[in-house]
Amino acid sequence: MPAGPSLERLLRRLIETPPDFLAPPWRGGEGQVRVAAVVNDVLAALDVQAPMSLLATLSGELKAVSAEQLSLSAVLAWLLADDAWHRFAKASPALPALFAEAVPALAAEAHASRYVFEPERREELARTAIARLGLTPEGETASQAADRLASVSGVERRRLLEASREAEARARAIREALARKAAEESADKWTRE
Amino acid sequence: MSREPTDAERYPTLSEAGRAMLRFMSEHPSAPMLRNRSGNRLLAEEVEDLRAYEREVAAARFAWSTRHAPPWLDAFVDEVFAQVPHYRSLGRPAGFAQIATVGRGDLAADIAQFVPDAVPLDRLINFRTTGTTGHPLILPSHPLVAGRYLAFHQRALRRAGIELRHGRGQVGVMLLGLQRKCFTYISVTPTMDESGLAKINLHPDDWRDPADRARYLDAMQPEVIAGDPISFAALLELPVRHRPRALLSVSMALSASLRANLSERFGCPVLDVYSMNEAGPLGVYDETLDAFVLLQPRMYVETLDAHGHPVPQGQSGEIALTGGFNFCLPLLRYRTGDHGVLIDTPEGPAIAQLHGRQPVRFLTLDGDWINNIDLTHALLPLPLSRYTVHQAANGDVAVALARAEMNYASEAANRVSAALRGRDIRVIELTSEDKVLQYTTDLPGGMAA
Repeated sequence: MPAGPSLERLLRRLIETPPDFLAPPWRGGEGQVRVAAVVNDVLAALDVQAPMSLLATLSGELKAVSAEQLSLSAVLAWLLADDAWHRFAKASPALPALFAEAVPALAAEAHASRYVFEPERREELARTAIARLGLTPEGETASQAADRLASVSGVERRRLLEASREAEARARAIREALARKAAEESADKWTRE
Repeated sequence: MSREPTDAERYPTLSEAGRAMLRFMSEHPSAPMLRNRSGNRLLAEEVEDLRAYEREVAAARFAWSTRHAPPWLDAFVDEVFAQVPHYRSLGRPAGFAQIATVGRGDLAADIAQFVPDAVPLDRLINFRTTGTTGHPLILPSHPLVAGRYLAFHQRALRRAGIELRHGRGQVGVMLLGLQRKCFTYISVTPTMDESGLAKINLHPDDWRDPADRARYLDAMQPEVIAGDPISFAALLELPVRHRPRALLSVSMALSASLRANLSERFGCPVLDVYSMNEAGPLGVYDETLDAFVLLQPRMYVETLDAHGHPVPQGQSGEIALTGGFNFCLPLLRYRTGDHGVLIDTPEGPAIAQLHGRQPVRFLTLDGDWINNIDLTHALLPLPLSRYTVHQAANGDVAVALARAEMNYASEAANRVSAALRGRDIRVIELTSEDKVLQYTTDLPGGMAA
């Protein structure tokens, strides 16, 4: 897994989140921060075209999308606007999924302000961004980074558990498929080793 | 227990001509007992895909040599690390050379970890293999993958000036075995207009009359006969008049003398194909080069030392494979247990001084020779991770088991003793931690053919 930006730099960036980003997001005709526009700009600066579905999600027009999700999207956009990402995440196809998949899960756990003001939540957000982009924090091995993220993030722990359940189910399905009579009969080859 | 497959699943595209071919092969008065059922399992669209694949393989050239890796390597490695659970859990190292090698033991431990996420499981098939290192393996495959073998056989045959031409109403290939217990069946090859395919056992127990063996071969007139050195040695003993257009020998090393005898007797090229279940047909022996010319342009071959590092050019190393045509089991630095020297030829890379596939015969107490595959079958019911069998010059036999599996010692001894018709068997502890040569002998006649 390739090395990404320094964790310290990203944590500092989060501490320095401008209050505007935590202002109420535009939602249902009220609020200040136009999150879709902010996210669109940040992705464009990283040479990624925001999918229409993501922009619709963050438009503030959908009732099902919470204010917490919108606010945390704005904070993540601020984090990704750091120059450090230009070296590591330019044109990364994983960027939209950060907003579409990681943010809703994190926003369901804690309000966006906690990802700015609480040290452990800051680390969770920064590490999640690095990991979901397929990177490791500068100076860490893949296994150190995975262990540390799992220790600070309940979302990650649940994701790992779910992934492990899915992996086990798939492995079981493969073993069962290989044991079927049809699989045992195999199929024609012109030579048999 | 899963249900019995139907003929519609075994031969999805079978026509009346194909049905007639199946009847011809199974109802002939000299036909052997066919103990199993199988088929090509190919859907109509897959038959078309295979035809296109055969054209592609015929035209493909090698884009790598001993001096440079193939241009497709990086993208292939990316995909494997993204799609295959075993590799995903490791994380991709910076360089190809840092990727940890895997061997049969890794595949045997849990083959499911090596099947890519994207492989649908509904038509998975398996190939069982025992190999020479003592790890029994069940390998995932697919009818399309099994069908692709023919593309590489055709590539090998073309080098010998042979274009297959059999089709409807003719038998394309007959696969010979010589084992006490052998998977035997008949089928048709849809890409060759349903020419017949018969997998038969030359062991006399599989025939109503042992003389039927030659009669059946003469009646079927297969364009190609495939087998291994042991079954081909038995073929030489039969009064067969039919002249196939080529013989394909796989599984074990074919000696120069047996090749010459076969070629002279049948008046056709005898192709020694280096092939394994994990990878399919890898190379074909070229007498002028004294090396196996590689057949799969999408398979990258390395030769490694004991630590997994490439050996210097011109030196012998363990053959490791990356790539391949089995999309159910993409190989990445897979150590085969075979050794050789990688060389460049005008046709592409080749493997010289290949060794590791010596067939071994064991002498029974009553003076018969049996194939090492029969000992494999005898021990198959026991959950042994690996073992060795050695026959000393005086005929004594020793079975070596891993320390943790010595509790199977008496059962293993009984089974091997029964296969060797009452020979006394000594069971000892396996001391080697690394690759083991599974079957060895000091008897002069033990190295078959």
